[in-house]
Amino acid sequence: MAGATGYGAHGDAPSFFKRWFASCNHKDIGTLYLIFGILSGLIGGYLSFMMRLELGEPGFQYFANPHTFNMYVSMHGLLMIFFLVMPSLIGGFGNWFVPLMIGAPDMAFPRMNNFSFWLLPTALFFLLLSMFVPGNPSGDGFAGSWVMYPPLSTSGHSGPAFDFVIIGLLAAGFSSIFGAINFITTILNMRAPGMTMHKMPLFAWGVLVTAFLLLLALPVLAAALFMLMTDRSIGTGFFDAAKGGDPVMFQHLFWFFGHPEVYIMILPAFGIVSHIISTFSRKPIFGYLGMAYAMVSIGVVGFVVWAHHMFTVGMDVDLKAYFLGATLVIAVPTGIKIFSWLATMWGGSIRFSLPMQWALAFIFLFVVGGVTGVYLANAGLDTAVHDTYFVVAHFHYVLSMGAVFGLFAGFTYWFGKMSGYLYNKWLAGLHFWLFFIGVNLVFFPQHFLGMQGMPRRYVDYPEAYTLWNQVSTFGAMITMLGVLVFLIWVIEAFIVKRKAGDNYWGEGANTLEWTLPSPPRYHEFNTLPRIK
Amino acid sequence: MSIGANKRVVMISTAVVIGMMGLGFASKPLYDTFCRVTGYGGTTQVADTASDTVIDRDIIVRFDSNINPDLKWSFKPVESTMTVKLGQNALAFYTAKNISDAPLVGTASYNVAPIKAAPFFSKLECFCFTEQRLEPGEEVKMPVLFFVDPEMANDDRYDDIKTITLSYTFHKVEAPTAAALTTEDRTKKLEEITALELTQ
Repeated sequence: MAGATGYGAHGDAPSFFKRWFASCNHKDIGTLYLIFGILSGLIGGYLSFMMRLELGEPGFQYFANPHTFNMYVSMHGLLMIFFLVMPSLIGGFGNWFVPLMIGAPDMAFPRMNNFSFWLLPTALFFLLLSMFVPGNPSGDGFAGSWVMYPPLSTSGHSGPAFDFVIIGLLAAGFSSIFGAINFITTILNMRAPGMTMHKMPLFAWGVLVTAFLLLLALPVLAAALFMLMTDRSIGTGFFDAAKGGDPVMFQHLFWFFGHPEVYIMILPAFGIVSHIISTFSRKPIFGYLGMAYAMVSIGVVGFVVWAHHMFTVGMDVDLKAYFLGATLVIAVPTGIKIFSWLATMWGGSIRFSLPMQWALAFIFLFVVGGVTGVYLANAGLDTAVHDTYFVVAHFHYVLSMGAVFGLFAGFTYWFGKMSGYLYNKWLAGLHFWLFFIGVNLVFFPQHFLGMQGMPRRYVDYPEAYTLWNQVSTFGAMITMLGVLVFLIWVIEAFIVKRKAGDNYWGEGANTLEWTLPSPPRYHEFNTLPRIK
Repeated sequence: MSIGANKRVVMISTAVVIGMMGLGFASKPLYDTFCRVTGYGGTTQVADTASDTVIDRDIIVRFDSNINPDLKWSFKPVESTMTVKLGQNALAFYTAKNISDAPLVGTASYNVAPIKAAPFFSKLECFCFTEQRLEPGEEVKMPVLFFVDPEMANDDRYDDIKTITLSYTFHKVEAPTAAALTTEDRTKKLEEITALELTQ
């Protein structure tokens, strides 16, 4: 068997360099993605912590130059989205568990998988480099926010910093496109015998829909970035009104990508949470088909709502009404998911193990963010709170508490499976509570600040906003403490080496990865499992 | 799993990626055409023939002027408002003066507010159709010949439109085309326009 495929036996791993730098193994590449995600998350987290410290009091504390503050804002957004959430959820857990869950020996294109991963450190290098080269006469780095609207990103940033940002994002974008093609091929063609699409685990469904969104949305971002690049360097006028272009067109292109992007970040987390809720309620997921097709319809509708990010650009009232209505429609499939999770727990034999705590917190906080999302979908209300901290609070509730809680839920759920070691329950629990209390203290007061009219992306604010900013900064300190405890529990688990069993969650955890040892052997499923 | 099946998925996926990227680039002409046809974003219409019906409903047209700081011109409407009937062909003027000591070529971008009035705001002739060249210190009067389409009266969604603001912004043209209007061209054009027998 081993000789026929050219591979060694199950447990044979190549030498260190070959294993980690030229890896074609989906589990190793998944591990690389996770390590990469944690590292970029720490950098992005550091940037946001500095921003919060600055905003702890009115006036200037740590930033002498407002341009630098806005550069931190921009880099924080880009790092967290493109280099923490996407690599960890899709690249990390996707690579690790999609092949295991569908009973495939590896990804369809292992070498392309390796290429996808290594594009990312390259991209990160260029993005970080941009922080240290001139952006415009006011300072170093690109300070035009993650949305990169021209003319601020064209004539407003004459220096090379933004060119590095473009190169970095193009590299990250193509990494994701190649990854998406890989996932689509793997999921469509390599499912184990008997595993029909309608028997496929929900995480695989989440990643499949995400991959299609990536395939459709990212090329549009790439095109917009190319056009920004030529506008900057060779004087084309795609987004320059003086040359017959239109800066608002960039906003349309950007948000045509940007809105599906938010579902790209949340759909894999939906999948993870579904498995966790089902495992710790010891019940199969309620309404499996509804759950799968809710994700599909979120993906489809997600492509026709983008202009709700642009209600203030001067849109026709009819068009606003359309984008308002279409946006509200998304609440329906999202509601199907929330209620199905609740129905899964109903009458179940629930254990409040750590992954379940993360998953329940995910549902609770995601609903809070979802409700403010329904608020903001209303064009009239959005016009009032557009670009205020209310919006900041909204998207951090769905991302830094939705997507990131999904990440931690998955991480605690599968940590033993991936590493072979169990975590210290007390330390990991402390991480959860510090993080839960911390992020809520950071972001809940920002709803009040936004309602009071405090605008985003400013280094300073009037004294009237002091109180809730102080609370928010205090929350950031607790969150940082939580991150520290997270690193400690991971390191502790690797030092103490408590062995994890094959299925350490017991009854309820019944997807294919739980039939394998922890950690799984270097090559799994040399004999394909049969699903009845 | 078979290699052929994988190849097919990759081919289709790659085609989707290339197609979406192509659509991204094609959005420039598509968006342009879309705006021209639908009047989206306040894009005014261009008419070949003058209006021949006039309806007794007054519309106040306000004229707005802006200038990109790169272009050293002064630019303002001769009259700031004008009251016209629906369907009435009307002639308005803007003045522009080159306040630098070098010849400068400018081009104007334009739109109307409210945005929903755009499909009915038709221009027969406008200084914004071509680039304009002004010699140092030269001051000129530039015409806009327009009418508000009487079709607007047929739909009650437009009954609330009492005022339409026509706005222009002049930008500097770095690389002028040969078609830029000079002093003689403008005088000729103005004579043509005033010679037209229009229902005023």
